[in-house]
This record gives sequence, structure tokens and C-alpha cells, in this order.
Amino acid sequence: MAAEAGGEERELLTQRLKAAVHYTVGCLCQEVEEDKDVQFSKQSIAAISEITFRQCEIFARDLEMFARHAKRSTINTEDVKLLARRSSSLLKYITQKSEELASSNMEQKEKKKKKSSAAKGERTPREKETAVTESEDSNMS
Amino acid sequence: MEERDGRAGGFKKDTADRLLRMHFRDGRTRVNGDAQLLMAEMLSVFVREAAARAARQARAEDLEQVDIEHLEKVLPQLLLDF
Repeated sequence: MAAEAGGEERELLTQRLKAAVHYTVGCLCQEVEEDKDVQFSKQSIAAISEITFRQCEIFARDLEMFARHAKRSTINTEDVKLLARRSSSLLKYITQKSEELASSNMEQKEKKKKKSSAAKGERTPREKETAVTESEDSNMS
Repeated sequence: MEERDGRAGGFKKDTADRLLRMHFRDGRTRVNGDAQLLMAEMLSVFVREAAARAARQARAEDLEQVDIEHLEKVLPQLLLDF
């Protein structure tokens, strides 16, 4: 019975994710419509969504393999760059984005350092600077 | 590759993360924050490329409506590039 419930939940999650993809694909297609002065048929948008959703499986498996090959269980940006290896312009683009991320992370670290050194008098000495692995305020989402 | 900044649309990092997690074989596999952001970007590029190439195909055929057959024509190269 637990397996059934798990199967249903997974189905629900799949549906929700497909809907999220479809929505985002719609938005992106709208941008292209304006850019190229065309109109996308509903079927073509649906087809792009379907293809994108399926492509995620390929991406996920590859990424997992790359990380495992490096004896890691957490996928990082190096793995993503490997994923982009097939097209040189894609690789260039992703590498660029990755560098932008890295430099904005550095900026955040600098800010935190300044803040914590300024507030040293008010805070307990136990406060440590934790490595930022997740950047929340990014202008990419 | 189409390059765009200041885009309104695009995948969110959480969505990208959930999409990937659905297909991991090992329960311990995770994606770090920056990689999530990069993957969201990757997926957005994928969609934009698919759409833009299909649009270009339609335009090359003197059409304004992009249909499945235009997508079908550009799909092989798209998948090879990704």
C-alpha cells in the first residue's frame, strides 16, 4: 500500500512538473514570437515542452554519472559544463554564466565579511562564516 | 546560440532541481546551488534554441506560423548540439 501511495505521489509530481515546464516553455516561446515575428501553434509549444521534459532525463543521468566518476554525490558546476561540451558556443555560454555566478558569489562573501567584521562587537564569537553553497538571491530565476 | 539577458521567462532553479531529481538513480545524488542555477539556464537555452530554430525554419519557408513539422526539421541538429 505504501508503494501505491508512492506511485500516485510520483505521478502527481510528474504532472505538476510537466505543467511548470509547459508554462515556462510558453513564456519563452512568447519571447521568440516577438523576436522573430512568428506565431507558435499550440502543438509546437506542447511538443517543445515534451521534448524538454524528456531531455531532463538525459541531463540528469549524465550529470549523475559525471559526479559519480569524480567520486562525488553532489553535482556541481563542473559537471554542468561537461554536459555542455557538444557545442562550442553552448559551452562558451555556460562557462560564461558559471564565471558570472562565481564572481557574484565572491561579492556576496565579501559583503558578508564586511558585515560580520563590522558587527563583531555585537555578535557572539561563535558565529562562523559558512560556505555559501546555495545562492538565494540570484537574478537568474 | 541565441544570447539574451534581461529575459522575463526562464526556468527557476527549484524547478530545474526537481526535474533532475526525478531521474537520479542513486538516492544520495544532489545538485549544488550554483549547478541548479546553471541547469535552469541550460534548460532555458535549450527551449530558446528549439523555438528560435523552428521559427527560423518556418520563416525560411515563408510562413509565420510555426508548426510541428518545423520543429521536426530542426530537432536532429538540436539534439546533436545538446
